[in-house]
Amino acid sequence: MYEISVLILLFFIAASIVLYVVLGGADYGAGIIELLPIGNSEIRKKQREIVNRAMGPVWEANHMWLVIIVVIFFMGFPVVFQNIMVSLHIPMVAVLIGIVARGSVFTFRHYEVELTPAREKNYTITFGLSSLWTSFWLGVSAASLFRGLISNQSLDFYSLYVAPWWGLFPISLGLFITSIFSFLASIFLVGETDEVAMKKYFVNRAWKTNLFVIGTGALVFLAASFEGYELVNRFFKNPMAIIAFLFANLSFFLLWFKLKKRKAFYTRLIAAAQVSFILVGWFAIHWPNALKIDGIYVSFFNSAAPQPVLNQLIIALLVGSCFIFPSLYFLIKTFKMKVKES
Amino acid sequence: MTELEAARYSMAFSLGFHIIFAAIGMTMPFFMSIAHYKFLKTKNSQYLDLTKMWMKGVAVLFAVGAVSGTVLSFELGLLWPGFMKYAGPIIGMPFSWEGTAFFLEAVAIGLFLYGWDRMHPWVHWGAGLVVGLSGFASGIFVVAANSWMNTPQGFEIVDGVIKSVDPIKAMFNPAWLHQSMHMQVAALQAVGFGVAGIHAYFLLKRRKVEINKKAFMIAMFIAAGSSLLQPLIGHFAAQRVAVLQPAKLAAFEGHYKTSTRAPLYIAGIPNDEKEIMEYGIPIPGALSFLAFNDIDAEVIGLDQFPKDERPPTAVVHISFQIMVMIGSFLALIGTMFFYFFFIKKTVPTVFYKIAVLCSPLGFIAIEAGWITTEVGRQPWIIYEFMKVSEALTPVAGMQYHFFLFLFLYLGLGLLTFKLLKRMVNHYV
Repeated sequence: MYEISVLILLFFIAASIVLYVVLGGADYGAGIIELLPIGNSEIRKKQREIVNRAMGPVWEANHMWLVIIVVIFFMGFPVVFQNIMVSLHIPMVAVLIGIVARGSVFTFRHYEVELTPAREKNYTITFGLSSLWTSFWLGVSAASLFRGLISNQSLDFYSLYVAPWWGLFPISLGLFITSIFSFLASIFLVGETDEVAMKKYFVNRAWKTNLFVIGTGALVFLAASFEGYELVNRFFKNPMAIIAFLFANLSFFLLWFKLKKRKAFYTRLIAAAQVSFILVGWFAIHWPNALKIDGIYVSFFNSAAPQPVLNQLIIALLVGSCFIFPSLYFLIKTFKMKVKES
Repeated sequence: MTELEAARYSMAFSLGFHIIFAAIGMTMPFFMSIAHYKFLKTKNSQYLDLTKMWMKGVAVLFAVGAVSGTVLSFELGLLWPGFMKYAGPIIGMPFSWEGTAFFLEAVAIGLFLYGWDRMHPWVHWGAGLVVGLSGFASGIFVVAANSWMNTPQGFEIVDGVIKSVDPIKAMFNPAWLHQSMHMQVAALQAVGFGVAGIHAYFLLKRRKVEINKKAFMIAMFIAAGSSLLQPLIGHFAAQRVAVLQPAKLAAFEGHYKTSTRAPLYIAGIPNDEKEIMEYGIPIPGALSFLAFNDIDAEVIGLDQFPKDERPPTAVVHISFQIMVMIGSFLALIGTMFFYFFFIKKTVPTVFYKIAVLCSPLGFIAIEAGWITTEVGRQPWIIYEFMKVSEALTPVAGMQYHFFLFLFLYLGLGLLTFKLLKRMVNHYV
């Protein structure tokens, strides 16, 4: 019973992470690609309009997944939550600063009544930089979980609060995450415009960010082996991870085929699936662990809260899903399936 | 500044910042929905203009509230991991419901803001209403989590380990009802007076008189109604505190010595060293009566608590007095409004001037009330179970955390204020 409860919660965690990375990721990426100094001012203006229209109705909902993940962790896995919040205090604060800056600036830009060019530029740059900054630190934080440098026993500030996330591997995962987010955003935005020139522009963005994804992905593996982190080893011993890796790579061909035909719906689906495969691989490699403290893996199964707590959490999540998913469907149906009509 | 002080100031500042936007985010959508309803019923385009005007304000303020709320969900763990390790599983339930409600609010606000002409007008109106309802619900859940810190129940501690957790009992703790009623009505009051004041200002300037008058009436009705209700709820809340947290009540009133026929002090400054109230005007028996409906009832004083388990009396007493004075004053203003509206059938110009002056008072009262309840619980983070100092993060350098968020929020607050000012000048 207890194990089943934990499994159900892990399903919710995994689903929320996948949804946050795919939906929230596209949102972060939109900020990042707005930052890239590409295209003339005409194109950049159009790009801003498309991003406003595409992200405006959904950005707040996209970020709720993060809140759901936090709540599941602090109610269901308090020890894991506590350790992450202590050892990764610095990257977490960095993430929060970014979240505050980008969310408010994005909204301010949209509702600004005196949008002078200077003001618009400031808003856009802040939105872009904070999107880049936040996604980078999200990657750094994720990288730190299993690196084995999280410690409760060290005594000095550096090894307690800096060493866990400081190094080549976290930095390369941070870069990888920013590339993935930009790639997701480019793919997503292709379907958000009817104008052929803008579609071409976003397809071009998708190509280029895709190259970054491949490059930084390779960097992640290199950095891991350079650091002596057993990622590669674990990876090739795990059939699930290998399958996920193969799927993620094979679907690239399908993606580019569909993208050539500019089938927005399928390209989005494939890109989302790719990113999900990468995450599945990541989960599979570390299964069933939540993090590594002082060289010892902490499993989800022996760090969960008592049974009555898990029951209440599962009830809350199931009832919550009955409200959230239909309303999300309605939101998406209203804004994302009627694009062509408007 | 010690590590503990820095962490406490960080939390206080983050909450004090968020509470303003949260209060607006969970009540202002109702104002918008009322105007929208009037438009759909009467087809008077002024109500449509008003709905859209308020909607834009809600959009900006909700965004700031949402991001500062996300920060808080992390800060609980970043600053108080010792607290979250114990409390997370116990009070996670209201938080998980809050998460759900917040999520629905985020979806509904997207639908409402961008959904004009994309759905049936009444479905669209419903989306606006859901923004308010789910926002209001999430406020109740968050306050329920806070009330557990005041009156913890629903768990047992055996050898320092939490056993037999009952999250439902924890959520519906003895303080949840009066605290959440008090907070939610305070939000309606503060936002009601805030909005009414802005529109009164432009009415006095004779700008867009018709729309501003309609806006003023909707806001003032909510403000006046909730202001008449609030003293009753506040009284009920104080009576509950007298039973549930006698040390807090004693600090509210600067009541040092346990006594029967306890006096109520108007104003005054508590002196913790001499354990007396200075410069206050005592009303004999009034505290006993207010707390227990009996002028001879015994009221427990701070002398019943060891010195290191007493809240800092001066801060609690002064903020409590500010809150009560504003609450009483706003109840008076609310009565005046109903008198003018229902009996005199006309609202005189001078009342609009008063309304402008009252505009920030509700928010000041919310901050004062929040300080009262939080500082009044000191030194406990979980009343009589865990001290704030035991919950503190081991991470050194909390001063940096404090200054970082101080500057971030001051900057954000300034940007938001300036943008809203431009928006108000443009639309109103």
